[in-house]
Amino acid sequence: MHMAYADFPYLSSILLSCVGGLLIILFIPKDKKDTIKWVSAVCSGITLLISVYLFFAYDKSQGGLQFVEKFQWIPSLGITYFNGADGFGLPMLLLTGIVFFTAVLTMWELQTRVKEFFALLFLLVSGVFGLFMSMDLFFIFVWYDVSLFPMYLLIAVWGSTRKEYAAMKLTLYLLAGSALILPAIIYLVVKSGFNTFDLVALMHPGTFSPFQQKFAFLLLYIGFGILAGVWPFHTWSPVGHVAAPTAVSMIHAGVLMKIGAFGVLRVAILLCPEGWQYWAHLMALLAVVGIVYGVFVGLSQTDLKFVIGYSSVSHMGIVGLGLATVTVEGLNGAVFQMFAHGVMTALFFSSVGYIYDRTHTKNIADLGGLSRIMPVATGYFIVAALTGIGVPCLASFWAELTVFISSFKVYPVYGTLAVCALVVSALFILRVVQRTCYGPKNDRFAHLEDVSFQLGIPRMILVSVIVIFGLFPNVMLDMIQTASIPFVNGLP
Amino acid sequence: MTLMKDWTFVTAAMTSLLPFGAFVLIMLFTRSRAQLSAGLSIGAVTGSLAGAVFLLVRYRHLKTSIQYAGQWLVSGDITVPVGFLLDPLSLLMLTIVTVICFLVQIYSLGYMAGDRGFSRYYAFMSLFAWAMISLTLSSSMLQLYVFWELVGLSSYLLIGFWYEKFSASEAGKKAFVMTRLGDVAFLIGLLLVLMNLGNLDILKLNSPMVTTNMAPGLITLSALLIFGGVVGKSAQFPLLTWLPDAMEGPTPVSALLHSATMVAAGVFLFARLFPFFSHSPTAMTVCLAIGTISMLLASTIAMVSRDIKQVWAYSTIGQLGFMIMGLAAGSYVAGVFHLTTHAGFKALLFLCSGVFIHTYESNDMFEIGRQGGRRLKTPMICMVIAAAALSGLPPLSGFFSKELILAQLASLDNPIWLAAGLVGVFLTAYYAFRLIFIILFPKIAKDEKAQENTAFTRDGEKEHHHYRVMAWPLIIMAAITLVLGFSKNMLQLFLTGRPAGMEEIGGNHHAWLLYAALSLAAIGLILAWVEFGRGRAGQIGFAERIPAVKSLFLQRWYIDRMYRLLLEVVIYRGVSNVCTKNDNQVIDGGIDAMSEGTVRSGRMLSDLHLSMIQYKLMTMFVVILLLALYFFF
Repeated sequence: MHMAYADFPYLSSILLSCVGGLLIILFIPKDKKDTIKWVSAVCSGITLLISVYLFFAYDKSQGGLQFVEKFQWIPSLGITYFNGADGFGLPMLLLTGIVFFTAVLTMWELQTRVKEFFALLFLLVSGVFGLFMSMDLFFIFVWYDVSLFPMYLLIAVWGSTRKEYAAMKLTLYLLAGSALILPAIIYLVVKSGFNTFDLVALMHPGTFSPFQQKFAFLLLYIGFGILAGVWPFHTWSPVGHVAAPTAVSMIHAGVLMKIGAFGVLRVAILLCPEGWQYWAHLMALLAVVGIVYGVFVGLSQTDLKFVIGYSSVSHMGIVGLGLATVTVEGLNGAVFQMFAHGVMTALFFSSVGYIYDRTHTKNIADLGGLSRIMPVATGYFIVAALTGIGVPCLASFWAELTVFISSFKVYPVYGTLAVCALVVSALFILRVVQRTCYGPKNDRFAHLEDVSFQLGIPRMILVSVIVIFGLFPNVMLDMIQTASIPFVNGLP
Repeated sequence: MTLMKDWTFVTAAMTSLLPFGAFVLIMLFTRSRAQLSAGLSIGAVTGSLAGAVFLLVRYRHLKTSIQYAGQWLVSGDITVPVGFLLDPLSLLMLTIVTVICFLVQIYSLGYMAGDRGFSRYYAFMSLFAWAMISLTLSSSMLQLYVFWELVGLSSYLLIGFWYEKFSASEAGKKAFVMTRLGDVAFLIGLLLVLMNLGNLDILKLNSPMVTTNMAPGLITLSALLIFGGVVGKSAQFPLLTWLPDAMEGPTPVSALLHSATMVAAGVFLFARLFPFFSHSPTAMTVCLAIGTISMLLASTIAMVSRDIKQVWAYSTIGQLGFMIMGLAAGSYVAGVFHLTTHAGFKALLFLCSGVFIHTYESNDMFEIGRQGGRRLKTPMICMVIAAAALSGLPPLSGFFSKELILAQLASLDNPIWLAAGLVGVFLTAYYAFRLIFIILFPKIAKDEKAQENTAFTRDGEKEHHHYRVMAWPLIIMAAITLVLGFSKNMLQLFLTGRPAGMEEIGGNHHAWLLYAALSLAAIGLILAWVEFGRGRAGQIGFAERIPAVKSLFLQRWYIDRMYRLLLEVVIYRGVSNVCTKNDNQVIDGGIDAMSEGTVRSGRMLSDLHLSMIQYKLMTMFVVILLLALYFFF
């Protein structure tokens, strides 16, 4: 694989501004809430800027790993601090930057335990960033756990609706996932005989026997798959979405679930390609069940956030289906869908959060008639909904289309089922839009204000990202292809 | 950048992109300024109209298609091209779309005046114009599919435009979901073709080489699946129930989207892929049957409806069915010609009805008649002209196009299709003039007569201004309806490149057909006069005299009821409920039970260690016993 070392530690700067933000916040007195928010906004803004810069500075004609930083850390164990960005990682870094920055802005009105909240948020996001840029198995595992632990507190302290239960459930599920990942990583490192955690070194073809790949792939797939909401390991995710405060829901559904899918791609698929091909059919089956099942369960939900939660299960199923096709198009579609879905759910939760903050209810039956009262706020919600049902010229459409086309070639039956789920998906999301936004003006909420310009900024950013990548999908696909084409062509 | 110097390309690009620009500008900047928004939108559509006319005039003798294609999306082997395909069909459709868009947007100035969502309305109208224009100019099926979906989106937004009304938002949702049902079939059909042909270029799809690459069965299957999209978008049987509900939208929207252009996109798609469909006689027969069933069903329902827009909505379904019959019977020109004439007179019918609805604030035709609808001279006259065209009376446009289709049906071996077509002609004339006579000759009880005179002058000057804005588009469209029929030969030359007469469809031995159709239409008209028009008429139709038939028609053949039942029983109470229960009680319940079990077993173990002494002793005893067993055996 082509590797270009960085002339400036961009990737580490992203991490540094997360950790730095965390440290600064820790030293700001509790009651200076505004200062804390500004520091958070600035630090998260820096991560966004760097990730945007990297996305466009990446040399697509060269491909491979770029902006590489590599230092031996514990040579006796073969652990290196090894960061790099490629066509799979950069979309995720960009996504994390966008979602993180907008999540911070969305929480501008937070008043309870501001300091702790933002500190934990920064810790969480450093884990996420770290995982997306790391090329060392040991660090991948560490970052994975770093991003899990703050979730528990964030949900249990700032959440709503059975928050302790949800937090506990989420943590147990994800720890179960890491209990599968860790043995698999150790197994692979030991069997390789290289005494290194370096992903690039381990990726060398022929390192692992087919049996080893099949075995390790299954462990990794289920381990990371739990976090990606793979059916039937998905039930933690809607519960967690519902309980989490707005910004955490955004990061949780927008980025954290992508860690799972990304882990499957980066670790399981790249290290064990033969295992991937062996288990692909199972992956496709689970993915399609998730797609179809998610929309049907979503149809009978009464809580606004549960609806989005189940739509996430369905949309992540599309990612899974793309990964299962073992084709360039499938991988492209899957990674694009990870990105598009991340931005979309962030927008979804961000607008639902606004509605919930004002009306104090997430029960669909209690809402209705909101468009007359807050046209702009519900406008954002409707854009997210339209993205969710795959309207063209919005980012998700292209991702879904590519996945459908590629899956239809490889698994005609599954592809057909997934396409058919589109109808139900339109039904259940439009039903929610109709029940919450449309209808006669609701006098109970008549006094509420529409979203202000300042609070609208994060949502505007998300909408424009959706539209830009919807109109110019090639910007994203060209990026992903630099990684997917060489990889799939190099398969045995 | 040679493309930039190519005037054809620049015009085509401008024609399609101008409305999009208007949409973006209105949404972003001018939402609070109604007049400016309307100005932007109308300006953009005027530009598009000019572009369309320019292209039509420049390429009136076009022999070979002009194609421009770039790449919108490239992902591995998948390419979604974006481009323009200029051929007679797309140029004709483009002109229809822009003319009607333009007229309807002018008309809306009056109709929507003072509405709270005036800017939003024009934004959505522009969105629709962009999507529809790009759809007509699409050079590949994938691009067409993209805009096909976007057109569906704008239809959803416009039907539910008055979102505070439950019925409106419900109708929008229904329209979106039902058309998507067809679209899914469409997409699967496209994917099938893509897999076997490796390409979705429209010209490639229509070239004869398709038969060498695809087995006949496969062509039939994919043609039928693609036809699913037509069925959804053109509201054909069995997906026809969304269109009447879609009348909840503002009337200009019904005129533009749900009669003249968007629903005709289905027929357009059929015409677009006409050579492809022709490879499969089976598929053509199925299409013919579906068109016939839709036409007959819709016409019967239109006979009993009291709602003026509902009548025209069912009439639209019927006429679209008629076009599909023409195409499926093998005449490309007949179907497309009827599409053209229908777009004109049906939009006119809706716009006229809009004036009545706007003035009397009622959709009920009896109510409009009672309040003195005939006083509104311009719309009344225009509506009579359009209804006559709809019924196929000479010398109006509908007459020529209907004759063409009937002649084609007559050339089929099975006479049943022609018989159905003729029944359709009779029913159409009957329901169209039933409506006209009800409004024109209201049967008023004596005490109500006094109120009649006051009805129109209620709002005075302001109303009058709006009325004038709305009148001009009516007059223009009526003029088009009057003359369009005579362009038959010209159109045939334009569409096929061959002058008419060489293989004039029907020929002379079908001369009796002309008289048959005309007399059937006349009988329909006279029957309507006898039942609704003349002085002593009871205003009860012949179908309404039989209770069973009446309720069957009034309940729309129970199709909608069946869908509701199906949705409720199978989807909500069936699959969805089972999945939810499974999720809560099996998957999640299982996990909860497992963790519960873990906690319980942990507690049990700790009890053994921490509680009463006899348990501790027992534990020690058991452990020692087990160890002993292990060591000794």
